[in-house]
Amino acid sequence: MEFKAFLDEFKNQTGFDFCDYSDESLNRRLIKIQKETSLDYEGILSRVAVDEKFKQKIVEDITVNTTELFRDPDVWVGLYKKLYCSIPRNVTTAFWHIGCSIGLEVYSNLILLNELNMLDSVRVMATDLNSSVLETAKAGVYVYNKQFEDNFNKVFMELGKNVRFDKYFDRDKDTLKVKPFLTAVPKFKQQNLVSEDAPFPFKTDFVFLRNVMIYFNNKLQVKIMKMVYDKMYDGAYLILGKQERLPLNMSGRFEAIANLYRKNALNL
Amino acid sequence: MSDYKAVVIGGSAGSFSLMLKMLAGIKSDFKLPIILCMHRLKHVRSGIAESMQIKSKLPIIEPMDKQRIEPGAVYLAPANYHMFIELDGTVSLSTEEMNFFCRPSIDYTLSSCAAAYREKLVGIILTGANADGAKGLKDIADKKGYTIVQDPATAEVDTMPKSALAVMTPNEVLKPEGIIAFLNNL
Repeated sequence: MEFKAFLDEFKNQTGFDFCDYSDESLNRRLIKIQKETSLDYEGILSRVAVDEKFKQKIVEDITVNTTELFRDPDVWVGLYKKLYCSIPRNVTTAFWHIGCSIGLEVYSNLILLNELNMLDSVRVMATDLNSSVLETAKAGVYVYNKQFEDNFNKVFMELGKNVRFDKYFDRDKDTLKVKPFLTAVPKFKQQNLVSEDAPFPFKTDFVFLRNVMIYFNNKLQVKIMKMVYDKMYDGAYLILGKQERLPLNMSGRFEAIANLYRKNALNL
Repeated sequence: MSDYKAVVIGGSAGSFSLMLKMLAGIKSDFKLPIILCMHRLKHVRSGIAESMQIKSKLPIIEPMDKQRIEPGAVYLAPANYHMFIELDGTVSLSTEEMNFFCRPSIDYTLSSCAAAYREKLVGIILTGANADGAKGLKDIADKKGYTIVQDPATAEVDTMPKSALAVMTPNEVLKPEGIIAFLNNL
């Protein structure tokens, strides 16, 4: 069975649609899955049909769930200085993290908002295709990684603020736990962005879509961008990954400000 | 006129100064794209492209996702991303797990180039301290691409060239000057 035929059949069987993912990296991950499970495509499909846990595992292995605290520190410094300092406190500001994985980006953002005493005036929704990573995100419990603390310190050094890592995290040897006053804020929800038509109930002021669309081909990027665009208020901000840009023919809908994209009002 | 469509180069420890020297030696009307994957130190994530640009006559680009590979430019895998070349000649980036504790992974970039360019590819492995890149260079050789390994005797750290030589037989083993001359004759 060919790679493309497998993806079609996997979609029909499970509702998870990877047909418009970037070929090269997806193909390589599927080869890895075949090796690790010692199954060919037919074998994977027959087991997926009867074994829910196995199905989840395959979805988890196909999708990329790597993430880090304050990935690209300068992006966070820019957000804080250029945008967050001027957010009004008397209205609710809505944030949507798409493809939030295990939630480290969500907590990075909440830490900055807390430094501005804004936790009472924000609504934070975080979604991912993959239900198992969302359990980790909700719990806010991670394996300690020095890179996280380095990024954290870099952000606050550049902001000229003296903030200790243990203000937000409890560390016990290799376990790192986000403090409960942060884990209580976001709502994590499983969501299949590719196959659901109206995935998000309310409009947002900030959308984080970082290093998610790099896994999609151009056709799917455009489809997702249009849907996200419709869920943004005029003037809302979109934050992409450091090496991402808007898909062709979407750039007229946003004003680019460094790594940030501000939604233009639609001119009909 | 060269039959090749692209050159892909991988290197790690010691390869930065070597790359600067090679870029300085490559002629300004070099026609092919050069796809470059180099391991970086974790705390030096920026500034590499800028340093290279000072030496290079060709433009140094850290590509955006889906950017098209064009002739006569150098595409440097961005820090903290894996870089793949798709069959349609565009770049895909990925943040997935490290390979040999490295992101970008040289194997991933080389293997994707092997699939995209097949026999119309030149693959080169330079000095480096781990085995990343060996499998990728073998993939290029398996697709009948032209393969070059830096002479281990001239490498600052010879683990990477030796690892490549352990799994495949390249078309040539060359000193840095030989690699530069080879490229300028393409």
